[in-house]
Amino acid sequence: MSKPYLPLWFDRARPLFGAILLFVPLYLLGVAWFAADPQTIDIGYSPTQPVPFSHALHAGELGLDCRYCHTTVEKAAHAAIPSTEICMNCHDRIAPNSPKLALVRESYATGQPIPWVRVHDLPDFVYFDHSAHVNRGVSCVECHDRVDRMERVYQARTLRMGWCLECHRHPEPHLRPQDQITNLAWQAGSPEEQQRLGEELRRKNNIQPSTSCSTCHR
Amino acid sequence: MPSMSRQGEPTAGNSPRYWRTLDELADTPEFREWIAKEFPHGVALEGLSRRRWLQLMAASFTLAGLAGCRWEKTEIAPFVHRPVGRIPGKPERFATAMDLSGEVTGLVATCVDGRPIKLEGNPIHPTSLGGTDSFAQAAVLQLYDPDRSRDVVARSDGQWVVRSWEDFTAALRQRMTATPNGENWVFVTSATSSPTVRRLRKLLEQRWPKAQWFTYEPVHDDFVRRGTRDVFGVEARPVYRLDQARVILALDADLFFESAGHVRAARDFAATRDGNPDRMSRLYAVETRWTLTGSSADHRLPLPPGEISAFVAALETCLARLAAGESLPDIGSTSDQSPRAQYRAAFLKAVAEDLWQHRGRSAVAAGTWLAPEVHAAVARINRMLENLGGPVLYIPVSDPMLARSAESLQALHELLASGNVQNILFADTNPVYSAPAAMKLHQLVERVPFSVHLGLYADETALSCRWHVPMAHFLETWGDAETWDGTYTVMQPMIAPLWGGKSLIELLGLFLDPRKSAQDWVQETFQTRYPHTQGSDWERCLAQGLFRDGTGQVNSLTELADSAKKESFPDAVQRFVAGDKPTEDAVSVLLTADYSVYDGRFANNAWLQEWPDPVTRLTWGNAAVMGVETARGLDCKDGSVIRLEVNGAALVLPVVVVPGIPPQTVIVSLGYGRTAAGHVGGLATENIPSVGVNAYALRSHASQFVFSSVKVTKLPDSQPLASVQDHHLIDRIGLQGRVERLGELVREVTLQRLTDPHEPYSAEEVVHHPPLESLWPEHAYEGHRWGMAVDLSKCIGCGACVVACQAENNIPVVGPAQVMRSREMHWIRIDRYFTGAPENPRTVHQPVMCQQCELAPCEQVCPVAATVHSHEGLNDMVYNRCIGTRYCANNCPYKVRRFNYFYYHKDLDNPRNEVQKMVYNPEVTIRSRGVMEKCTYCVQRIQNAKIEAKNERRPLKDGEIQTACQQVCPAQAIVFGDLADPKSAVAQLHHSNRAYGMLAELNVKPRTKYLARVRNPHPALQAMESDESAANREHTA
Repeated sequence: MSKPYLPLWFDRARPLFGAILLFVPLYLLGVAWFAADPQTIDIGYSPTQPVPFSHALHAGELGLDCRYCHTTVEKAAHAAIPSTEICMNCHDRIAPNSPKLALVRESYATGQPIPWVRVHDLPDFVYFDHSAHVNRGVSCVECHDRVDRMERVYQARTLRMGWCLECHRHPEPHLRPQDQITNLAWQAGSPEEQQRLGEELRRKNNIQPSTSCSTCHR
Repeated sequence: MPSMSRQGEPTAGNSPRYWRTLDELADTPEFREWIAKEFPHGVALEGLSRRRWLQLMAASFTLAGLAGCRWEKTEIAPFVHRPVGRIPGKPERFATAMDLSGEVTGLVATCVDGRPIKLEGNPIHPTSLGGTDSFAQAAVLQLYDPDRSRDVVARSDGQWVVRSWEDFTAALRQRMTATPNGENWVFVTSATSSPTVRRLRKLLEQRWPKAQWFTYEPVHDDFVRRGTRDVFGVEARPVYRLDQARVILALDADLFFESAGHVRAARDFAATRDGNPDRMSRLYAVETRWTLTGSSADHRLPLPPGEISAFVAALETCLARLAAGESLPDIGSTSDQSPRAQYRAAFLKAVAEDLWQHRGRSAVAAGTWLAPEVHAAVARINRMLENLGGPVLYIPVSDPMLARSAESLQALHELLASGNVQNILFADTNPVYSAPAAMKLHQLVERVPFSVHLGLYADETALSCRWHVPMAHFLETWGDAETWDGTYTVMQPMIAPLWGGKSLIELLGLFLDPRKSAQDWVQETFQTRYPHTQGSDWERCLAQGLFRDGTGQVNSLTELADSAKKESFPDAVQRFVAGDKPTEDAVSVLLTADYSVYDGRFANNAWLQEWPDPVTRLTWGNAAVMGVETARGLDCKDGSVIRLEVNGAALVLPVVVVPGIPPQTVIVSLGYGRTAAGHVGGLATENIPSVGVNAYALRSHASQFVFSSVKVTKLPDSQPLASVQDHHLIDRIGLQGRVERLGELVREVTLQRLTDPHEPYSAEEVVHHPPLESLWPEHAYEGHRWGMAVDLSKCIGCGACVVACQAENNIPVVGPAQVMRSREMHWIRIDRYFTGAPENPRTVHQPVMCQQCELAPCEQVCPVAATVHSHEGLNDMVYNRCIGTRYCANNCPYKVRRFNYFYYHKDLDNPRNEVQKMVYNPEVTIRSRGVMEKCTYCVQRIQNAKIEAKNERRPLKDGEIQTACQQVCPAQAIVFGDLADPKSAVAQLHHSNRAYGMLAELNVKPRTKYLARVRNPHPALQAMESDESAANREHTA
């Protein structure tokens, strides 16, 4: 018995097989890597909310302060989602019959909470504290971006650990005067001015962000 | 039984002066093999073959791929109306209290989002001053116990049927209308100090004069009350103010566990133990058991249960002599010259003279199981020593519900046997389990036409009743309590009843006025008690948890009604000094309340079951605890199984040999062998075996605690014990070459040596080592440097810190099988060391947690940087990086790292058990399988306190951060703080001359320093004890 011959093109393509064997796993790995990256899967995540609440209208156009609704942001780890009561403070007179607000009115009447969908979701082993940041010159905009321009809130930053550490190592570009914390449009005149201001605020408020693991993981 | 023969040999330099187990002392080959391994049993996936494991892994990868690329969508459900001041996720604290059989501990509950997750002592409550015992720490687990009864159930035709509270109320009304004067009604409750329950009982007694009431406690104080009645004319209970006492004699009395105000007692005692010669106390213990008090004692004399009364009689006559102005003759020479008699004579003389010298500043206490005559004699002695009204108070027990009575059971039994009882209510009591078997109480209860059981669990008594109604946990309902000094204490609900239970107040309210709520009844009591108060006073009472009117007068007894009966001096002394001649087969058995499960009521609490007994180090069960002589006589060793037989009842249980238990004596803990406790403690209906053996089986009406002439038979089998005494031994012996350079892990100093003006003491300089130079550049610090100091002189070894740490840090329970493999997960353990002769050793307790080394050996070997140094000096443990090599644990000289061999929280994924997830502390990550963990110095508390201080733009105050173990410690033995601040309490303690770092000679630079234990021995006895231990060694060699 003689061995069956392989076609000639097979012989010629031999180097290609090597290349395929080498590159396909690398390519797949690369795809998986980038596909699982927060940059890909988290940025732009914008789930549909049960009530079509517009931050652009409330925080932007009407100019409501963030803290009018997110009352606990300066006092606690969580910037609590407002209670239905806060919505109804205004909406029992403003647009009291709007169909968009049906769920809010229902919640107010029945006592059932509105099931808001979480947008910014840190893993459970991360202990982030809002109050520690907003009391130290870090504005909402640093992590949440221009919520006052968002019709529906989306995630604008990766919230990955390297991104957190970037600021913990060099906080100066992200510090601002305490009275401008919720002014999302505020900007220092120029990057140089921001750097100078950041250094000054850091010195004045003794801001020494920790990069130890136990700062956020316990 | 390990041979003691090595004791006689000249020590080769590696025989330990402090030892944890008899095997270690004898240095057996088994012990050497054991200590050579970090984790003695191989890691095996139990019952899972490699092939099956690969299949499972492949399947889970596939599933992971299908699960999608984002976290699952989660929803946020905000309040509709957020209560004023409520901040989601922020802990709130409310004052409350725990009443355990009439013993009150003031508490502060930490609630997160409306669920209580942790209890601390109420710092302004006189019973607590901020500390608690282990029972209070474990109460939150009981609250969320999935085995708690959830429904009102009634039995019809042998079947349990779920009914509603309305059905029950209707049935109750029907029975009530049939008996206008309460004829044939019987109420059985546990002891309670609640003024509201007392008031409701009085109201009910007025309306129903013929109803009968019984208060039943299996661990009773009948003998104390009977004894005090004989001398004072009224029943009383003793209270000790140990801060006022310079000399304390405990006659098998566990001042830190069973006396009134035991948490406070530990604080008061510890305050006198810091080496200050002006207030240093001396504690003598004469005891049969090994109590916490005995293990803190300067001198401990083990006596068989029958001989303690002889000691008390001898002491009384000695003191009478001293009171008459005579001196004590050399009492040792009156009898034989054996070392035992010599030591006893010297002990008696030292105690008598010491007490007499410190009259008015001494205290004599007797254990509750001792005979009434002993309690009467102790009261007379305290009177003779002018202690009444000072360090010792006798508070009259006028309230029948405050009496921890078991005599009542006999009366109840007679009443039930007469067949006249038509209606019976058991509230929070379980007599069917704990009553003597001969009473056949379950049959009698089953005969009663209308029987109701109110309880947290459908326990043994519930199974005999017609109705079982769920009881509200004390954290779920309104209640009140009263301390011995009359402090009114209020309990408020932290959470609505999880399973719709009602408290005893509410149930009694059903009889009187169903429209009133528990709060109405309690508030009414407050107003009746303090008629001149306003609404703001009630609110202040709620905020503080207590209320005191201006008087603050304590009614304590000072005058004796009956004069002492006298025994002639030589007789009493000689009888004691000569002692009973031990005979081979006359073994006495002493039953005692258990440190873990008390009288059995905590049998279903897994934290307490897995919590090691302070002395035997046993978890998950009870055992026959005996001394070395008894064990030698019976040819028993740890794990041998014996049968104890007395009065026709028998117990079969494993042996634990503990040095220092008197000869011919066996100690057995009560509270085990439950058959209807739950899935943890034992549930016969679901074939879940009981934990331990029910020692109540030995009881009869005549003998409650002590049984003499017990027949002991050694059985051929053996039983493995879930004992942690050998676990995590620090390997000194293995370091043969360096043994001369290693210091003792625990260090002790006598008061005399400590205060020697000519030669200043330094605990650190006890060890000589070459200068410690680091191979690595050392860390530099700009801000805080956290550190801890543990005062061994204050630590009483109660172990409340172990449970507190478990509650704070979400530490899983692993179960007896895993404990036997050394896999218990406690981040803090209390090492118990013996020193001296095995017949009568002394003990030292040493809490050991991660020492947060500056040059940490664990950090140096982790291949993935999962344990790294923080900027504030902590060894951070990063669970997400950990790949489970366990190199760190292998390299840790302190053996404080714990590995999650399994996913220990798996049971909680069962929907039935989900309620228990509510006990988790949301500030701490739940660790999964394959991850190493260890003490973090409660880093969550550090971070939160820092953030709070920064938000308020102020520096951290010293003492603002308390670790969980520090906060709970009733003795304040643990201090935590910032070493960078030279004025902080911890920095000052680190500079104390008693401070030393454990294994500091390894140059790991531990951040926890221990303060050497100060002993205050009597000079005469000290000299004798060193001689005696030498004599014992010669004797046994």
